[in-house]
Amino acid sequence: MTPLARRLPRGGRVGRRLGSVASAVSAVSTKELRGRMRGRRAFVVVTVYLLLLSAFAFGIYTYLKQASGLVATDPGMGFPRPMPMPGYGVAEAGLAASIGHGLFGGLLMVETLLVLLLAPAFTSGAISIEREKQTLDLLVTTPLSTTGMVVGKLVSALTYVFLLIVASIPLASLVFVFGGVGPEDLVRGYLFLFALAFGMGALGLFVSALLKRTQSATVLTYVIVLALTLGTAGLHQFLVVTTQSSSGGSIISQQRHRAPEALLWLNPFVANADLICATTPNSYHETCAYLSRVTGRPYFGSQWSGGVVDVPIDAPAAAPPVEAQHGAAVGRLPLAATSSIGFGFPRDTFWPKSAAAFTVLGLLSTVLAAQLVAPSRRLRIRRPIRRNVVLVSTEPAADVVRDEIEELDPANGPTTETVTDEP
Amino acid sequence: MSAVVRIDRLTKRYGSSLAVAGIDLSVEQGEIFGLVGPNGAGKTTTLKMLATLLVPNAGDAEIGGHSVRREPDAVRRVIGYMPDTFGVYDDMRAWEYLDFFGRCYRLPAARRRQMINDLLDLVDLAHKREAYVHELSRGMQQRLCLAHALVHDPQVLLLDEPASGLDPRARVELRELLRELRALGKTILISSHILPELEELCTSLAIIDHGRVLAAGRVEEISHRFRAGGVYLLRMVGNTGVDQAEAALSQLPEVVSVNRRPDGLLEVALSGDEESAAAVLAQLVGAGVRVVTFSQAASDLEELFLQITDVSPATDHGAGVNEEAYA
Repeated sequence: MTPLARRLPRGGRVGRRLGSVASAVSAVSTKELRGRMRGRRAFVVVTVYLLLLSAFAFGIYTYLKQASGLVATDPGMGFPRPMPMPGYGVAEAGLAASIGHGLFGGLLMVETLLVLLLAPAFTSGAISIEREKQTLDLLVTTPLSTTGMVVGKLVSALTYVFLLIVASIPLASLVFVFGGVGPEDLVRGYLFLFALAFGMGALGLFVSALLKRTQSATVLTYVIVLALTLGTAGLHQFLVVTTQSSSGGSIISQQRHRAPEALLWLNPFVANADLICATTPNSYHETCAYLSRVTGRPYFGSQWSGGVVDVPIDAPAAAPPVEAQHGAAVGRLPLAATSSIGFGFPRDTFWPKSAAAFTVLGLLSTVLAAQLVAPSRRLRIRRPIRRNVVLVSTEPAADVVRDEIEELDPANGPTTETVTDEP
Repeated sequence: MSAVVRIDRLTKRYGSSLAVAGIDLSVEQGEIFGLVGPNGAGKTTTLKMLATLLVPNAGDAEIGGHSVRREPDAVRRVIGYMPDTFGVYDDMRAWEYLDFFGRCYRLPAARRRQMINDLLDLVDLAHKREAYVHELSRGMQQRLCLAHALVHDPQVLLLDEPASGLDPRARVELRELLRELRALGKTILISSHILPELEELCTSLAIIDHGRVLAAGRVEEISHRFRAGGVYLLRMVGNTGVDQAEAALSQLPEVVSVNRRPDGLLEVALSGDEESAAAVLAQLVGAGVRVVTFSQAASDLEELFLQITDVSPATDHGAGVNEEAYA
């Protein structure tokens, strides 16, 4: 990354500033990664993580196969054939699609949970530990740009989280074997995971810069994580219930007084629901129903589940694009495709907003963290400045300080004389 | 010679307490300037303001012509700072530690390699190049931290209690190292609560207490200024000799106080210069007192320091005496 820093333009003030940030990012992230990737630990963690994820995926597979009541008749491993071939039963193809769908959903949620737990774990100590170990002063007295320093910390922490995410891609690609989930679904899922990792990592960094102790920073970060997941979902549900009861349960007013959707933008599991809903082989799925309630978009359940939810009144024109989007999906099984014509839930209604929200959260947290680390810059949250501010800022007050000093210190000469006479 | 560091009415408050109450000092190029004072005198706060870690409430300081208030970034390039307490990173080798700070100062890779070799040699850690920083001994970490402050070849070194926690041998080595650095043309500001430690090393001193400068100047000047009216230790032959001497001394106008110590020595505080001390001795001998020893108490500056800084004997005095044994 150092060559990058050198290649940046040095001419203008902006160029120089960028150059100093880039070199700081490079210095700090190199240092952090040297420590983090040293020895076997980092690689053992990746291995264990992949083993657990594989075990989980296998668990979902076994469960779905048995729950469906259909036992694959293949000899050997008991895996269904990769693609529905001529002569291959429609029921089996449907089973494969629902296994693919279940596997995708399960892996997405587990990885979301892991990112939610790991990203803050790597960053919530990043700055407070420098304070605790008394190394921060050494850094601040260098001309290192504080923004660069904070970004460098974030880059090194995220590099590792991203490594874990990327390492799971081959495992997640297993869903292609079953069908029902296209590459575009997987790409969306991973884009969301990266945005989530950035947002949560930066949030941890901000809390780490805000609080003095690593312990309290970690606790506060996880309290925020809890609030973002269970908290927002609970509050949203509460608002749904209260608006319903106050508006008399009429469907129209229900649409008008929907609980604010933005409340759930930072809830990664609602975004998960959107991504999972898009891969559902049957036209009805709980996730789609929930999203319909959240976004107020129409959703017609399918024939067999009977789950017609949130009948739309003021937005009937949504059906055609739905069909177009689903038709364009690559690799979708015929069964799933046919059953979703005219039904189903539109793609990308929620998760892009959520990903954008996490990105904004990440950017905001990074900027604030950099402000908090700087010793003498614009913003000062941690140390409440009392009357000394007033003393410095106004001229007559500064004189007061001087008078006080003179009062305390009757100049150097006389002091020493009186002292020598003392004994 | 020109002043490299100029401190002008520097003031820092913490809430209602005045940690540094308007300090004025100037340090010339190539000096080793000692800041001495008991714990809590404001030494660390002063150095932190010079190192741009704290913003002064009033006053200003210039280092190499740059104001710590207005141009902290410029100041950071001319100073090397070593805090009184510092930590080291885990999972980092000695050379990586210096490499990291070299990157912080944006030194190009080739110069960094050269600098790492030179500095490890200078602080005598070349054989610990690949050792983990957190596994080094305290003295080695201290030397490595000093090396970190030299990474960008700064004009001015700010060293906050660099010798604290070191064994006598490491202290001697540190002193040698600082002399070497001075020979290289660095200006060094060093703080300590142990006066003898600085007395041998420094060219100038400032004695600080309660955030104020009580005395400042070149070491010879200060000790000369306070040589007048020193404390002398007298030993006489037998107890009768001590009684005699006590009686004779109480008659003399130069004598400020006489104190009989349990070990049979007399501690006599005199006013006036060395002439009057000689006169006191002559008068004692003339009065028939059999004087065996007539010597100045261990360190004039140490005595002076204890007097003018008015330390509570329970804590700081005790610590000072213990440390003295090491130095």
